[in-house]
Amino acid sequence: MDMLLPFLVSGLGVGAVYALSGVGLVVLFRASGVLNFAFGAIGALAAHCAWSVLEADGGQALAWAVAIGVSMAVSLAYGRLLAPALAERDTSIRSIGTLGLALILVGFAEWTWGEGPRRLVLPTDADGLEFGDVRLTWTRVLGLATAVAMMAAVGLLLARTRVGLRMRALADDRGLSALLGVRVLSVDGVAWALSGAFAGVCGMLLANIVRLQPTLLTFLVIPAFAAAIVGRLKSLPVTVLAGVVIGVLEACAILLPGFAPFRTAVPFLVALLAILFFRNTTRKA
Amino acid sequence: MHPTFILRPVAASLVLMAAFAGQAHAQATGKPNCGLNNGKKATGEPIAIGAVVGKTGPDDFSAPALAAAAYFKCVNENGGIHGRPIDYVVADDQWNPETATQVAGKLVRDRKVLALVGNSSFVECGANAKLYEQENVMVIAGAGVPRECFFAKNYAPVNTGPRVSGTLVAAHMAKTHKAKKMVCIIPNIPSLGNWACEGAKGWGAANGVAVETIAIDPGSADATSVMLQAAAGKPDVIILNLPKGIMVPMLAAAEQQGLHKKIKFASTTPAYNADVPKTIGKTWDRAFDVHLEFMPVESNGPDNSNWKAVMAAYADKAAPRDSFAQGGYLAARIATEALLKLDAKTLDRAKVTAALRSVKGFKSDILCKPFYVGDGARHNANSSGPIAQVNAGSFKQLTQGCMTADEPELADVRADEKRLGL
Repeated sequence: MDMLLPFLVSGLGVGAVYALSGVGLVVLFRASGVLNFAFGAIGALAAHCAWSVLEADGGQALAWAVAIGVSMAVSLAYGRLLAPALAERDTSIRSIGTLGLALILVGFAEWTWGEGPRRLVLPTDADGLEFGDVRLTWTRVLGLATAVAMMAAVGLLLARTRVGLRMRALADDRGLSALLGVRVLSVDGVAWALSGAFAGVCGMLLANIVRLQPTLLTFLVIPAFAAAIVGRLKSLPVTVLAGVVIGVLEACAILLPGFAPFRTAVPFLVALLAILFFRNTTRKA
Repeated sequence: MHPTFILRPVAASLVLMAAFAGQAHAQATGKPNCGLNNGKKATGEPIAIGAVVGKTGPDDFSAPALAAAAYFKCVNENGGIHGRPIDYVVADDQWNPETATQVAGKLVRDRKVLALVGNSSFVECGANAKLYEQENVMVIAGAGVPRECFFAKNYAPVNTGPRVSGTLVAAHMAKTHKAKKMVCIIPNIPSLGNWACEGAKGWGAANGVAVETIAIDPGSADATSVMLQAAAGKPDVIILNLPKGIMVPMLAAAEQQGLHKKIKFASTTPAYNADVPKTIGKTWDRAFDVHLEFMPVESNGPDNSNWKAVMAAYADKAAPRDSFAQGGYLAARIATEALLKLDAKTLDRAKVTAALRSVKGFKSDILCKPFYVGDGARHNANSSGPIAQVNAGSFKQLTQGCMTADEPELADVRADEKRLGL
């Protein structure tokens, strides 16, 4: 257990951000039926904009505001301008449409900022909770707390508010919701903006905990997908739990000598196992 | 004996002497000095020289070819190869072995290049080494990274490579900090993997230093776990044998875990980049040692000054001025001087390959020791280099002289050097 503790602690931080990303994906899927492949790329763009603000001595508050503002604006722009054109197509086509956005954003980020070494430093990095030889920095604690808080907030939004009800109605049947008087584009807009805000926060945290690099941040959407799949793209608590478990498993996999150099495969394995498990339970039912 | 047999080498020697004399003059005036250095634009039949680089992919690894291109431009503006300009064709392998084979095939078989100069790729050595040997075409590479680049008959990199760089920095840390236990971290890339840390391990075994290797997944999001794993064995030193993009988050994770207070950190050459000291921050000031494959880019030696002058006059402003660019410049200089020794009218691949193989005693203040190619089964002529330390947002050279690697894998290279009388 002593040997495992450092990696449990280390995995918690990354897992929390996977969880937060998973919540961002699920909230959009539950509202508009789109699995947003551009989630990571939007976060990467937001983090790079924030880095530029910090480099220009703009301060942390402005950097966070710019990151969240940019991510919400990009997400909302796609949701209002391009996504409606695919609204009548099936879920897979609507989701694959976001791949185009991801490629454009990652290309733009690469072109603008390039591949040079960069670091997004947050004031919460300097200290944290000590567990023996391991430190859980306040940034990671912040990630965990935000993931749990957002899960609760989004759960309440979807279950207890009018806009949440409209979001669920839209995801169930867009045409029928429109006939019943739901203002489709407005409700869609709320979902895209909310998902964009999640992408901005996750981009900032991942750029700090992982690394500030456009391509890597774009592809960090994969563990979040795995978490969302375990939550069957529906359950927020299961998504959060799965995100944390994936992060911890990935960190602990470093102790398996033959597997350690390939531990990025953990999210894929978790997602595959979840799909197999769901298939079996569906058959039994 | 026909008089041309005597006249040709004498003429070539005179031309080279004139070139060197011109070089001294040009350096004094800050103007670049290249090839014949006669200020006359070469207008004859172009000489095709190729290069294969990994430009697009995980990282832009084309700095050596950009520097070589700048030097060849300068050569072409200064008499070329006895009047013939160099037509330098650079191909991008996109970090894909299949593409590397295709582009090398086009250069060697279709364009019929006489040599390849300034290559730098993570994939092409393994993919193309056999082709180069079969086609009897020689490569003077600007930067070799995987093992295959240092184990091919027709591929001679001018840099030390990650393995020798790792051995040298391990020896430095053992000497400076009396370290007895080290961890070497390497990305799990085919043909690079453990090989690049095994030199340090072998050197350590012979010198009472335990060196453990940790191979990491370069795509992994979790640098903290790697650092915690490395620190678990309580080593005195952690050596990062990683590209700078992966190395920076490792140092950030080490800093967040407070490991810099307990363990010394060092790196192989990839950390030697102007952006790195600023990016990693003040924590690492005077606490991060790096081995350099060449002398520092800021050094004021005549050839290093000439490299900077060539880059200023003939390279794009965005082209990197880093140690990889130094490698490309050196490769181009080596090739140019070898070509200038030949009769430009009768150049063919066999003659150029033979001329490049006979390179011996090539001197530059960018290198610690004279460079050679030779006819050995493999090439690793550069096995030295100084150590620099991060200091006040920049690098400061720590060792005045150069360290030379002492590891068993270089035994055959040392035997070749002895045979060549070096």
